[in-house]
Amino acid sequence: MASAEHHGPLSQFEIKTLLPIHLGEADISFTNSSLMMVIALIGITLFLLLGARRRALVPGRWQSMVELSYEFIVGLLRDTVGPDGRRYFPFVFTLFMFVLFGNMLGMIPYSFTFTSHIVVTFALAAVVFVGVTILGFVKHGVRFFAFFVPPGISVALWPLMIPIEIISYLSRPISLSVRLFANMLAGHTLLKVFAGFVPVLGAAGVVPLAFVAALSGLELLIAFLQAYVFAILTCLYINDALHLH
Amino acid sequence: MPQLEQVGTFLSQLVWLFLTFGILYIVMKRSALPRISQILATRQERIDGDLRRADEIKTEAESVLAAYEAAAARARAEAQDILRDSAERFAAEAAEKNEALGRRLAEEAAAGEARIGAAREQAMADVEAIAAELAGLAAERLTGAPTDRSSAEAAVAQVVGGRG
Amino acid sequence: MAEPERPQPLRDLDRRLKRLRAEEDGGARAAAERGRGLSLAVRIGAELVAALVVGVGIGLLLDSWLGTAPWLLVVFFVLGAAAGMLNVYRVMERMNRTVGDATGKRPEAERNGER
Repeated sequence: MASAEHHGPLSQFEIKTLLPIHLGEADISFTNSSLMMVIALIGITLFLLLGARRRALVPGRWQSMVELSYEFIVGLLRDTVGPDGRRYFPFVFTLFMFVLFGNMLGMIPYSFTFTSHIVVTFALAAVVFVGVTILGFVKHGVRFFAFFVPPGISVALWPLMIPIEIISYLSRPISLSVRLFANMLAGHTLLKVFAGFVPVLGAAGVVPLAFVAALSGLELLIAFLQAYVFAILTCLYINDALHLH
Repeated sequence: MPQLEQVGTFLSQLVWLFLTFGILYIVMKRSALPRISQILATRQERIDGDLRRADEIKTEAESVLAAYEAAAARARAEAQDILRDSAERFAAEAAEKNEALGRRLAEEAAAGEARIGAAREQAMADVEAIAAELAGLAAERLTGAPTDRSSAEAAVAQVVGGRG
Repeated sequence: MAEPERPQPLRDLDRRLKRLRAEEDGGARAAAERGRGLSLAVRIGAELVAALVVGVGIGLLLDSWLGTAPWLLVVFFVLGAAAGMLNVYRVMERMNRTVGDATGKRPEAERNGER
């Protein structure tokens, strides 16, 4: 954390190339961001497969956590979408776990938070947005456009309301991605700033240290909450696409 | 802010994002999620089965209890019947025996009385005969002549009859 | 000897079975209900800003295409603000519904329909 002080609190978000890979003109180097994504991938897989490997009828603590995460998303989809949401469960579950692990792994000192980059969060949000829009057209065809016409409003107001509804619809991937990105950015920056005070202040550094500890707790909550919000909004969008209004 | 400055790394970030996310999705869909869902389904089946079995056993216990109570009631009723029957039988037998004993005793008493009566008559007859003989003998001694036996008997009979 | 009452162990069993069945049906959901209100509150700010950003973006794009600067920017800024308000309204509406859900009416019906 001392190095962070030299480079400023934003240096933790820098992408550093670990293994340069070039495909013609394209730079697809393996970076610290890629490393954390791979660690998240391996971590989630191990967490689930090892936790479930004994298939115990009476689960231990680890298996309970695995089952809890599974039933959490199942319940989320059931409550927001209903029985026909079951088909999208693997996607929502993968999304939730990936974002959750990305947020949580970033809490470890000297690691990197790939969800603190707008490119990544926007790409994830765009996948959800495009996927849900395609789903809506597949399910309802042209009638999906009725989604932009608010029910119970006179035709005279349509020229006003339809652009508003379209802007509202287009704002979905922006709000989805900006929210996650901004939360991760702000939380981690704040954490780094206060952590930077600790060595400078010497003995009086206990004060910011206690603050950092409390802030870390809050950050853990936010890391979970943001993954949850990402998942629940995906569920709501799926519900809108399936059932329109 | 590196997020907006390092534009050159965008492609790499996107490529690795889709690679890792894609692999994760496939692993989840093919392997991890079916396994967890199977564990949960097995447990649910087991719990449902256990509850169902407990219910069955409970009903069974209740029916066994009912059967036991019915059997006990029946047995109690039977025992009372037997008790009553045997008491009646004993009483009847006792009465019968009593009656038979009484009859025998009465018969025996009657027979005894008859025997006594006969004996008395015999004795009386014997006394008359002896008296007649004694009277004959006494008359012989006094008169010195043999007396007629029949006249002696008549005399005795006259005396006994006069007295009796 | 004769007692019409059920014996103690059998009554205990009865009670325990009923309780187990109730737990089977109810328990899992309660936890999920709690986090929801908080997550909805977290959403509001981003919803407003995002719609505004989209409105301004569309305005700038159309202005540069059609050469109508700055009129469409102004129009779409207003539309974006309205869309942001609409987004916030929908979040609030949903929050109200969720609070209503917490009393257990709607999920109960859903669950019954599903099983």
